[in-house]
Amino acid sequence: MNDVTEAVEGYTCPAQRALRHLDAFLADPMCGQCFPCALGTYEARTRLESMTRGEGTDDDVRVLERIAAAVLEGSKCRKGKDAARFLAEAIATPGFGEHAAGVCQDRECRSLTTYAVASDICVRCGACKAACVNDAIFGEPQQAFRAGYPAFEIRQRRCERCGECAAACPHGALRATDVALARGRSR
Amino acid sequence: MTNPVSLSIDGREVSVERGVTLIEAAEAAGVHIPNLCHLRGMKGVGACRLCVVEIDGSDVPATACTTKVKEGMIVATDTERVREIRRFVLDLILSMHPPDCMTCAKAGVCNLQRYAYDLDLGDSSFTRKTPGHAVEEANPFVRRDPDYCILCGRCVRVCGSQGTEVLRFHGRGLGSKVVSGTGSPLEESDCTFCGNCVDACPVGALLQVEVAKRGREWQHTKTRTACLACGSACDLVVSTNDGQVVKVGSAATAGDEARFICAIGRFGFEGQRGHMRVSRPLKRVGGELLETSWDDALSLVAERMLAAAGEAGIIAGGSLLNEDALQLKKFADGVLRTKDYDTTVSLYADSGVMLTPGGDLDAADLIVLVGLSPDQWTRVFPALDAAIRDRVSSRKAKLLVVHGGDPRIKTAASIVLAGDEVGSLEQLCRAVIDKGLAAPPEMVEALAHVTPSADARNAADLFAAADAPLILAPAALYVAAANLALLKGGAAAIPFEANARGIARAGLEGEGKGFQELVQGPSPVLYAIGDLPLDSRPDTGFLVVQSAFMTELAGLADVVLPAAAGLESDGSLIDALGRVKHVRRACEPAGEARQHGEIFSALAEAMGVSLSEVESPGGRFVEEGAPGFARFVRRSEWDIDPATLIDTLRRSVVEGSRLAWLAQLQRTDAA
Repeated sequence: MNDVTEAVEGYTCPAQRALRHLDAFLADPMCGQCFPCALGTYEARTRLESMTRGEGTDDDVRVLERIAAAVLEGSKCRKGKDAARFLAEAIATPGFGEHAAGVCQDRECRSLTTYAVASDICVRCGACKAACVNDAIFGEPQQAFRAGYPAFEIRQRRCERCGECAAACPHGALRATDVALARGRSR
Repeated sequence: MTNPVSLSIDGREVSVERGVTLIEAAEAAGVHIPNLCHLRGMKGVGACRLCVVEIDGSDVPATACTTKVKEGMIVATDTERVREIRRFVLDLILSMHPPDCMTCAKAGVCNLQRYAYDLDLGDSSFTRKTPGHAVEEANPFVRRDPDYCILCGRCVRVCGSQGTEVLRFHGRGLGSKVVSGTGSPLEESDCTFCGNCVDACPVGALLQVEVAKRGREWQHTKTRTACLACGSACDLVVSTNDGQVVKVGSAATAGDEARFICAIGRFGFEGQRGHMRVSRPLKRVGGELLETSWDDALSLVAERMLAAAGEAGIIAGGSLLNEDALQLKKFADGVLRTKDYDTTVSLYADSGVMLTPGGDLDAADLIVLVGLSPDQWTRVFPALDAAIRDRVSSRKAKLLVVHGGDPRIKTAASIVLAGDEVGSLEQLCRAVIDKGLAAPPEMVEALAHVTPSADARNAADLFAAADAPLILAPAALYVAAANLALLKGGAAAIPFEANARGIARAGLEGEGKGFQELVQGPSPVLYAIGDLPLDSRPDTGFLVVQSAFMTELAGLADVVLPAAAGLESDGSLIDALGRVKHVRRACEPAGEARQHGEIFSALAEAMGVSLSEVESPGGRFVEEGAPGFARFVRRSEWDIDPATLIDTLRRSVVEGSRLAWLAQLQRTDAA
């Protein structure tokens, strides 16, 4: 079970933690001997994948709650019951249900998050550009003898929403937004 | 019941044997607990979790297939709490199972369909999963579609417990799949195509290949009968639709693990309507066999038989039913007035041996096989092989093999005594006597010169430790083997044909010429009845063959009388272990064929005698009680190879059905 605990280290988002946990559980400790656990955890993973991709609905949350309860009650051994308990705790954690509305508060579900440069704050220092591993930031660093260049911009198609730029920005000019909000999606 | 336990199941008080599981106890109380993976008679695995029940005093639901009964237990099998678990599991299974009950051949007898209906589940509320596995349908017997598989493992366990050990799981959880051997097609594995996995499958993942549309399960008429293909005379359920046989299965209750029937019993039925079948009387005209009427054929035969005036001979096969055999006895004694009649039984036994008691495999905790090689793969007593392997694998019995050759069954044996069987028996008996078991003085004297080998002494330990050993031997070795039963347990002679014991009781054995003498002839008329191991014409002036099939022998006859085949006959038989079994007509005889007994009456009538007025000969009875000591000898005149005999007898059935494919496959493998 060590792999399973290690798999969720470094994640705060309850949906991500539940997904990583089930991925690791299905990859190794799950023995497949009894139906509720073998079929239920598989279904739960499918639903979590959809939620972390931003395609989740309130129905997914209800189904996940049902799976957690039924696997806890019906599975044969402790491994299945432990997986069900972990899932139940994740679902009960604040922020989980918001995924159905397209919001990941912890900014760990990349499909739910988008990054943008606030042009009024950006000083074009270049720290974000240096931090970006995908070369997704467009713009020329500030030089003392030049003026009139626009603020930095993120090329969304290249951006993998890792959040490294936001961490690197000394001025807080890089902001994470919910995809749902950015697209004006309403639920 | 020696030690009953009382409990309450859904408010019904029930008293059952100690050690049984809740699922079995509920069955006894008339309560069905839903399940998909349980097999009656086999240890529960608790995989499907449908059988969960609530027990008073316990916080969590328990699986009824793995929970043993306890005195005073109060069990509820249909509470909302357990229904929710069942709904959850079924809903998940339905999400990976194709929703096409409307075209599925299993509809009506599918457990998944039944429980989904009971719990009001339609299309799954979970994500649909479509694995898209390839369908296996290269062989003409078993169609495997893994997409329908719900991974209950019943087929794997049935195949394993009967010792065939072909099917197994590959992978784990939802990604797993039932495969044969190393994932090869069935025909490249050790599969014998017995089809018991098909019977065990609760859904439509394993189906019998349909040659034509056979109708839905609920349109079938089901008849319980017995198979006539060999001495095991397995119980069958025959499904007919519109008077045609469409399916044959094991008669054991659904979900029962002791369901073995072999490919011959399951798929041989097609031979009854195959190209080898004979369904109208034939007579020889100018060197050719031409169709004729019953009246013509019977008057022709009657005329020849009357002219032979007591010199006519009769030979019959060992699968003739009791009632037919008694009619034939009356016909021979009272109408034909001949002493020259005999059956194929005399090729491997005599009535003395066939009138000894049978044996109870279920009661035995040690099975001693002497000179017998039951084998699923060559289909010589396949059901005995499977039954023994099952008892060994479930630790109900141990196996001791005494055999001079190299039988495959020895892989299931605790100890094998190789070398000459009579010599091994002498050593074994001596070693058992040395362990202090009481023996008749003649036996002790006869064994005075024998020194048991180390193997024989080990076998004697096994024998002495057993409570109820059962010794099985062919007639040739029965007399010597039965000596072992004088020390402990019982012994049974195993004949090779379905009703050898019944024929002995009917006394179908004239005082005149025996089978071989009758075949050698000469005789004015020879009346050959049933399945006979003969390929050339016996020396006779006029050969009458009465058979369901156009065998080589029938092709050489002067008159052929079409007889009803096994599934078209009514009557009874006594199987190799001495059990009486009913044979019931599942379908009307093909064309103008008639059952053997009817033909004897009609022929008697044509000869001017009413068979009902002939005095009944009365049967002979089995000698109860232990026989005395007999010398350790082999009756070598009865030493025939059962494989060759059985193969010859069922050739017509095999060649007239899809079993021909299997026979071809085996010839290719052997080459």
